Amino acid sequence: MSNTDVSGGDVLTERVPSEFRLGVLASLPVMFGFVPFALVLGAQAVAKGFSAVEVPMLTGLNFGGGSEFAVIALWSSPPHLLLVVGVTLLVNSRHLLMGAALAPYLRCLPRRKALPALFFMCDESWAMGLADAKKRELQGNRSAFSLAYYMGVSLPLWTSWIVFTAIGAQIGPVLGDITVYGFDMAFPAVFLVLLAGMWKGARAALPWLVSLVVAVAVYVLVPGAWYVPAGVVSGTAAAWIGARP
Amino acid sequence: MTLAPATLAAILLMALATYLTRIGGYLLLGNRTLSPRVTTVMDTAPGCVLISVIAPHFATGHPADLISLALTALAATRLSLLPTVLIGVASAGLLRNFLPV
Repeated sequence: MSNTDVSGGDVLTERVPSEFRLGVLASLPVMFGFVPFALVLGAQAVAKGFSAVEVPMLTGLNFGGGSEFAVIALWSSPPHLLLVVGVTLLVNSRHLLMGAALAPYLRCLPRRKALPALFFMCDESWAMGLADAKKRELQGNRSAFSLAYYMGVSLPLWTSWIVFTAIGAQIGPVLGDITVYGFDMAFPAVFLVLLAGMWKGARAALPWLVSLVVAVAVYVLVPGAWYVPAGVVSGTAAAWIGARP
Repeated sequence: MTLAPATLAAILLMALATYLTRIGGYLLLGNRTLSPRVTTVMDTAPGCVLISVIAPHFATGHPADLISLALTALAATRLSLLPTVLIGVASAGLLRNFLPV
């Protein structure tokens, strides 16, 4: 799209819907990537005792796949609320860095717009919104962040996450019966794919190995879900020591 | 079609926690620069959580499960989600039949 016309007000109003449309188009390939994750998540949530209403409620209000997989893997009835919140905060702590990186570009927006927009910030919409803002900045635009483009990316992703996790919740019981024998291996499979996506070299992954070893040891020796905080604390401590300046 | 109060509470608390991480960086960290050390730790933490959550799968003496985990990990490094899950589930199902305890 040509970006040469930044003069008049009516050009601006004309620009907004097309920015939104560009965002929607850019979101489509990502959306296809979401579908299998969403189906598996919905199916696993139902297998852990979530109802068909609770699944889209979880995925629509939380909208963070990694934390949803983690919480469902640890799900018990009744749920351990402290564990749920703690694991959610830890898995989603990367949002803090993402929000901080986006903050300079959001200064052109009032808070009443920026705060609702941030609800939709996932890895993909963040990366695409930031890349778009950087590109626009290079072209000399002062208010570089396009809320319309960002929402064009975000809304289809959010909607498809809700819809396909709900579909996964519906078809999950059927799939569960067919694959009942190895079905439990779906969890580590999903998590290993998520980890592979975070891979930044063997050295950076060393804390993960520390986490794994400590978590396995605590799981064997201590009853309850203590292996999660133990693994997380030892792994992040290893990262802290390894990153010594 | 049910909505359990305890599940609802967990979902709402989780949603609140996630939203706080989304606005926290914008509200608190936007004007300062984090040390590389803190950045490294925050980059590493999500992976530490994920691997810790699946640790019980590694704490098994069953060779079928360990072989299946190794195959799944190998698949995760080169394939996308759906084939990896299929390999994990199928290999676990088959190996448990062929390699009984």
